Amino acid sequence: MNDAAPQPVLDCAHLVRRFGDRTAVDDVSLRIAPGETYGLLGPNGAGKTTAIRMVCGLLRPDAGTVRVAGLPVSTAAGPAKRLIGFVPQEVALYPDLSVRENLRFFGRLYRLPRRRLEARVAEVLDLIGLTARARDRVDSLSGGMRRRLNIGAGLVHAPTLLVLDEPTVGVDPQSRHAILESVTRFGEQGMAVLYTTHYMEEAERLCDRVGIIDRGRLIAEGTPRELVSLVAERDRVRLTAVGDLDAFARACRRFTRVEGAARGGDRDDVVEVVVKDARSLLPELLDLAHRQGVHVRSVEIDEPDLETVFLHLTGTALRE
Amino acid sequence: MRVVLSIAAKDLRQRLRDRSAWVIVFVAPVLIAGLMALAFGGDTEFRADIGVVDLDHGPAAAGLTQVLTGPELRGTVRVREYGDAATARRAVDSGRAHAAIVVPAGFTRALRGGSPSPVVVLDSVDHGLEAQLARAVAESYVAQVNADRLSVATAVAAGVPQEDVPRLAARAALLRLPEQVRPEGMADDPLEVISYFGPSMGIFFVLFTVGFGARGYFAEQQQGTLDRIAAAPVGRGALLLGKSLSTFGYSLAGLATVTLVSWLALGARWADPVGVAVLGLGMAVAVVCLTALVIAVARTERQAEGLASVVVFGLALAGGNFVFASGTSFMHRLALFTPNGWALRGFTDLGTGVRGWAAVGAPLLGIAGFCAAVTAVTVLLLRLRRTP
Ligand SMILES: Nc1ncnc2c1ncn2[C@@H]1O[C@H](COP(=O)(O)OP(=O)(O)OP(=O)(O)O)[C@@H](O)[C@H]1O
Ligand SMILES: [Mg+2]
Repeated sequence: MNDAAPQPVLDCAHLVRRFGDRTAVDDVSLRIAPGETYGLLGPNGAGKTTAIRMVCGLLRPDAGTVRVAGLPVSTAAGPAKRLIGFVPQEVALYPDLSVRENLRFFGRLYRLPRRRLEARVAEVLDLIGLTARARDRVDSLSGGMRRRLNIGAGLVHAPTLLVLDEPTVGVDPQSRHAILESVTRFGEQGMAVLYTTHYMEEAERLCDRVGIIDRGRLIAEGTPRELVSLVAERDRVRLTAVGDLDAFARACRRFTRVEGAARGGDRDDVVEVVVKDARSLLPELLDLAHRQGVHVRSVEIDEPDLETVFLHLTGTALRE
Repeated sequence: MRVVLSIAAKDLRQRLRDRSAWVIVFVAPVLIAGLMALAFGGDTEFRADIGVVDLDHGPAAAGLTQVLTGPELRGTVRVREYGDAATARRAVDSGRAHAAIVVPAGFTRALRGGSPSPVVVLDSVDHGLEAQLARAVAESYVAQVNADRLSVATAVAAGVPQEDVPRLAARAALLRLPEQVRPEGMADDPLEVISYFGPSMGIFFVLFTVGFGARGYFAEQQQGTLDRIAAAPVGRGALLLGKSLSTFGYSLAGLATVTLVSWLALGARWADPVGVAVLGLGMAVAVVCLTALVIAVARTERQAEGLASVVVFGLALAGGNFVFASGTSFMHRLALFTPNGWALRGFTDLGTGVRGWAAVGAPLLGIAGFCAAVTAVTVLLLRLRRTP
């Protein structure tokens, strides 16, 4: 990076973490600038949570360093941790305490003075839309409300870097929308956000920059537009079909001109294929389908998106 | 420090919201202790019928009878004499005597030199406290006699004529015995049942706090809130201290409630309120150490729960929480390995009029030893399995 660039809020360098002989995170380096929303996009087991746990000082890296606003998380853990707001993947709250008591407790851990704490708790309650439920116990909230409170608990101390681990998993569309809205707002307010997800639509919509992680390695990084331009020459062919689609996808991958093929997208009866030139390959694909006993109902040729990028880079789908 | 207090306050708040925790630590012990006091009647006085079998027929054995009938034990001990050990054994077994002391033939003669046969105490499981008293008297008597043997032997070595030795020995035995035999912890006052069962039940139920504390820890781990705390600028030390503080405070509150109710409403009497407080503090510290141990050993909430139950019932049984004064000498010795056994020993002493250091000194050391051992094991275990 050039010298004029401001000090990054988060600077991870060559992070490695192994569990036994499995390398969960393999030489991952990434930087997040102030106010930037960075999406870590990857399938289940890619190493997103492991990376995030190292960023938050919950897991010691086997190699590499994490700095938050220049402070190393390993040695200056206290000051660095004060700047981070951590929102774990699973809801992590005290079910037998009230909404307000939860927020207060997590705020106190960051040593907020009493006045400021009360003011921040009120602000956060407002932000997550739970002011009316402040006195209710957490175990009386709906799942979506708990998710919102889960995020709120990481916000009380007004962190410089907010780390969210798949905050929208298992959330109904309405709450999901609300969560995405607020993340957008955090970015606008100047908070740096590290956001993991395996929904490429989310990454595309929210993030200034996206890193694609697969099997522990960061295999591509850039703005969504930059990433999509990696596959600009490619077409995304969506075949809606019935039959053994897994076998069909495997067979498709054997064509040299096919860069990736997988069941998926958002539907069960779809196979997506990334190819250089769809029009010339399409007859062969249909012929293959016929030979495999796969009955093709419709064919669409689309503009590439982040999903295409992933398919292109790894040969398989983001979601299996 | 504020963070430590916040963590402790949060834990206490959760604990107090848990109705079963309330019942176990505050309500149940008071109820059960009250019921026991009721069942045993208001004025169960302590009186020991102790048999003496004098096979020696010498002055040294007579000295023992004198001690038992002496002013210190008057009102507490009634002496019955038996001709031989077998008769005494039958009396003890049938409950006519609570315990018996057998002085062997040649006991006085042994003072002149040679090795004396041992003084034997016959006891029964049903009368643990009485047996304890008999043993204490016999032991201190024998200790005194041994001291006399030494002084007589010294006199002989110094050239006292042989024929003066028996007289000298008898004199030595009688001279200092009365003020020597005041077995520690066995004072004049009768022990009220409630003075024992109040703290006993309080301690038993407070041991359950080990389970609450350990389960709470694993619940936090499972909930992910422990990660949240670890992601905040909170050191491990502060977390540990906060959690210990809440367990300590909660245990202390439970013990204080039971002792206060026993004292104010149920008629328990202890010689020394400071001693009572000190024993309560010691017990609360022991609960903290045990909680840490269970956390270090267990891996899941389930395991912690099971392990804590084993600890609670194991300690309560070994420490004598269910019996009025520990029964057999084996039980008695076993109790010395438990903090609650030591605390109850202290409460027994305080309940029979012993005060201050004499009552709580040994129990405190015992509890401290237990805590030190438990902590050492905990630290070792945590070292062994630290993998961040
Ligand atoms: N504590 C652990 N012990 C052993 N292996 C682990 C541990 N934590 C993670 N792993 C392994 O590391 C790899 C990465 O896991 P991680 O949880 O970081 O993935 P993820 O990208 O967050 O997945 P998901 O989208 O399912 O949350 C997986 O293969 C996982 O099995
Ligand atoms: Mg994850």
